[in-house]
Amino acid sequence: MTTQPRRPLRVLLAKLGMDTHTVGVTIIGHALREAGMEVIFTGLKQTPEMVCAAAIQEDVDVVGISTLSAGHTRSLPKLARLLKEAGADDKLLVAGGVIPQEDKPLLEAAGVDRIFTMGSDTRDIVAYLNDWWAARQAEEAA
Amino acid sequence: MNRPTGPIVSEGEQIARETERWERETRQPSLAGKTERREEFVTQALKWPIKPLYTPADLEEAGFDYSADLGFPGEYPFTRSTRPNGHRTDFWTMTQVTGFGKGEDWAKRARYMLNHGLSGLILEYDLATTNGYDSDDPIVEGEVGRAGMALDSLEDLEKAFDLPFDKLKYLMSVCNAPQPVNLAMIIAALEKKGVDPKDFVLHIVNGILIEYICVGRYIYPPEHGLRIATDAIEYIIRNHPNWAPLSIISAQLQPAKANPVQEIAFSLSICCAYIDAILERGFDIDTVAPYLNHFVVNVDMDFFEGICKLRAFRKCWARLMKERYGATRPEALKIRLMTSPTTIALTLQQPLNNIGRLAIMATACALGGAGENMTTPLHDEAHSLPAEEAIRVGAALQHIVAHETGVAETIDPLAGSYYVETLTKQMEDAAFAELDKIFAMGGAVKAIEAGYFQRALGREQYERNKDIEEGRRKWVGVNHLVLTEEKREIEIFRLNDEMEEQQVAKVRELRARRDQPAVDAALEAVRAAARSGDNLVAVCLEAVKVYATHGEICNAMRDVFGVHSANSQLMGI
Amino acid sequence: MPARPGGSVADIAQRLLAGDIAAGARAIRWLDDRDPRGAALLAAIFGHSGRAQVVGITGPPGAGKSTLTDMLVTEWRARGRRVGVLAVDPSSPFTGGAILGDRVRMGRHATDPGVFIRSLGTRGQAGGLSRSTYDAALVLDAMGYNIVVVETVGVGQDEIDVVNLAHTTVIVAVPGLGDEIQAVKAGIMEAGDIFVVNKADRDGYVATQRQMELMLHLRAQSLPDQPPVPLLRAVAARGEGAAEIVDAVEGHRIALEAAGDFTRRTSARAREQVLALVRDALMERAIRIADDHLMADVTTRRLDPYEAARHILHRLSQGSLAA
Repeated sequence: MTTQPRRPLRVLLAKLGMDTHTVGVTIIGHALREAGMEVIFTGLKQTPEMVCAAAIQEDVDVVGISTLSAGHTRSLPKLARLLKEAGADDKLLVAGGVIPQEDKPLLEAAGVDRIFTMGSDTRDIVAYLNDWWAARQAEEAA
Repeated sequence: MNRPTGPIVSEGEQIARETERWERETRQPSLAGKTERREEFVTQALKWPIKPLYTPADLEEAGFDYSADLGFPGEYPFTRSTRPNGHRTDFWTMTQVTGFGKGEDWAKRARYMLNHGLSGLILEYDLATTNGYDSDDPIVEGEVGRAGMALDSLEDLEKAFDLPFDKLKYLMSVCNAPQPVNLAMIIAALEKKGVDPKDFVLHIVNGILIEYICVGRYIYPPEHGLRIATDAIEYIIRNHPNWAPLSIISAQLQPAKANPVQEIAFSLSICCAYIDAILERGFDIDTVAPYLNHFVVNVDMDFFEGICKLRAFRKCWARLMKERYGATRPEALKIRLMTSPTTIALTLQQPLNNIGRLAIMATACALGGAGENMTTPLHDEAHSLPAEEAIRVGAALQHIVAHETGVAETIDPLAGSYYVETLTKQMEDAAFAELDKIFAMGGAVKAIEAGYFQRALGREQYERNKDIEEGRRKWVGVNHLVLTEEKREIEIFRLNDEMEEQQVAKVRELRARRDQPAVDAALEAVRAAARSGDNLVAVCLEAVKVYATHGEICNAMRDVFGVHSANSQLMGI
Repeated sequence: MPARPGGSVADIAQRLLAGDIAAGARAIRWLDDRDPRGAALLAAIFGHSGRAQVVGITGPPGAGKSTLTDMLVTEWRARGRRVGVLAVDPSSPFTGGAILGDRVRMGRHATDPGVFIRSLGTRGQAGGLSRSTYDAALVLDAMGYNIVVVETVGVGQDEIDVVNLAHTTVIVAVPGLGDEIQAVKAGIMEAGDIFVVNKADRDGYVATQRQMELMLHLRAQSLPDQPPVPLLRAVAARGEGAAEIVDAVEGHRIALEAAGDFTRRTSARAREQVLALVRDALMERAIRIADDHLMADVTTRRLDPYEAARHILHRLSQGSLAA
């Protein structure tokens, strides 16, 4: 029952579009919580506009999109663009799920910072986020 | 008077003592200095402990009785088989999944499959369709025709049904939330093609309740979803008695990491919700149960969990119909299973291994009593929609199991196995305990609203994933015998982006040339029926025939029923 | 092109007072994280707060609070009100992490600029409300939202916390839960201002409603000076009951203002907040002072607890209490 100030990482998890597979976000959501992060789940059938608005209202550090159907080549770049227009592109944008290698360059060029293909170990994801967070906090302290 | 002297020792107790002796004198000494492969031997999904040896003592302890627990094929409780002659007369119908792109593409692929040994087809739709939207609705941008066929209007289906219907015996339409629009379209398309509905079996999945638990393709709130499903069920019972109005796709619970006991209990409780709803409309159980007893059940890689699950399903259905509803007709007491190897066992890595996995699981299906129908997923399904060679291999695999292994030559060959019978009975007992819990909550709909199923599954998902990450479960290619040099590319079946544009243009053009006043009137009739409680199928038929679109008819129902918003319980919290 | 909110305290304060959402979100973040800039920010905006009506919505798990909140937000928006929602969920006491899932049910308001939804974890705060809930409510107040909803899971002490925080507390009950959950918890039946039985289409609604009526009757008898408390029904999943509840909330505000209680409750909240901050700061220092040496003496019975406490208080009063 500490009242020490803490800065847990805040992560928004969302599913864009019509894909409603939730096992991936459920597993990652639990893993991030076990790792001490605050996970805000926006729910299903989100548009890029809804996710962007939520990311700003919740002032999250990370926006995580899970996608198992093929609509990602349009919706992810759109989300990246909206975040940038809102001045929120300093937030980390990551995507996971069924994303072929050949789509990665397109997505990365469009503003997705990191892609975790299906079957990525949750420990790797947690480590990646923690490392990014540590670097970001060091940057801000400097 | 003669009294027996000394204690009476049953055969089981004798063997139990012998087993203890064997343990002491033979097995334990053989372990001297060695450790077993696993700290704990447990079944894959249920994580129930597995003993080194099962004997008649285990059967006695479980209270196993041949007549009560097994009986004979085609007779209550149907544990050994619902078919009196097993598969000695006919094999199971062999099917595969297809469905993508515009109507014409599906027809081309369907013709290919029918000409290569398949007699049944499964029609799946894109996410725009299964969620009740037209292709030109902005919310579905990027989804048109990808996960399945794009169905905007009757015209799409008319084109898709350019098929050799003489070869096609069975067509399943995997559509839940946008019923009964989908049913209406199919009926109208068949009429246009002059196909006699009595010549083949149409099977609509119509299983909306499971969508609220684990797949998420719902539109209206659960009570309205149930009403719509019941309308479709009633319509088919009255008008197309040779068709099938429901399929409980228990298999959908597997990606959500349900274990076999949860699968049996959750899906049976869901079926009871449909049964109770249709009984309220004045039918009796012996009439309706044969319509509502279609279950799609997958097996996973744990060979015996899969086999025992199928056997337990048959027994549990029979008992449920008899004990809860008082059914008497054999057709009501028999479950109809469509079985399949599960796709969740397949790996992205080293995809050719999946052919081996599929063969093993298909064999388990056959040994568990494949039921009416087996579907083989395709070995590269782990990443995307199938390529043609994978289809051929999948079809051949079923024929290999059927013709080359001999497992279907006798009925339920594993019956009597001490392990199989023990495990089957344990599953049955546990499933009924879980069912009692769900009924105590007020049934499946109430349990859905309370988030009971979702929470149970959410935790399982996390724990199972941890088992793999932490190596407690070995998975070849994933965390065992990994090819570090493997440069496996996900071969997505690339669809033409133009295809979406064409479909969008098509539906807009349709709207421009049809009789708009007739469409408006038809949509108003849909709303009226939604409000009044009249059966929705008839009004949807009228609407599709004047070329009201799929999305328009669903929207008419949205106007009356409202929409169901997602639920954080889908994350299992 | 909106400027980045990573700006200075003055910059953020100015922008949030003008209604900028990103700035308001950043301010809440600073306060939630106990970032030193948070206190400075609060100083800058505190004078602009005190107008919003803080509405607490609480009740047992499964009562449908989020769905109810979603429905009420729609109604408020229809009446032209701007609404902020603070959805508080428990953080794991072991890992400190949390899954905050309430905004899932409020998705339709996501892109409405007149609605600001913010999820907060309790972050180790005993008693269920986030430490920073009060601060976050102040930010939304200063931004110009007319209504600030605080939605919490009511278990144990939570209901009492939210009562101290809110002008108007709405207690949500639901048919079918056992008596022990609906039970008259210490203070809750006296503290609620509006009672709602949600999922009123369920079996058991009539029994639950009668139970609530009885308890409110007893309350009226023991607190005869208070006006009668509304007992309303809702089926939030179907949007039924929103207008009546919003009317009751507005009515409550009018009644409070008429009795001069609106500002009184606002002041009481402020007082609570001040004392809580003092309490926290003192506790932190006390914990530092209660070092192993001192506590070892208590363990070995050289010092009794009362004397140890006196010892700590003495040290506190001597030291500087700044920071």
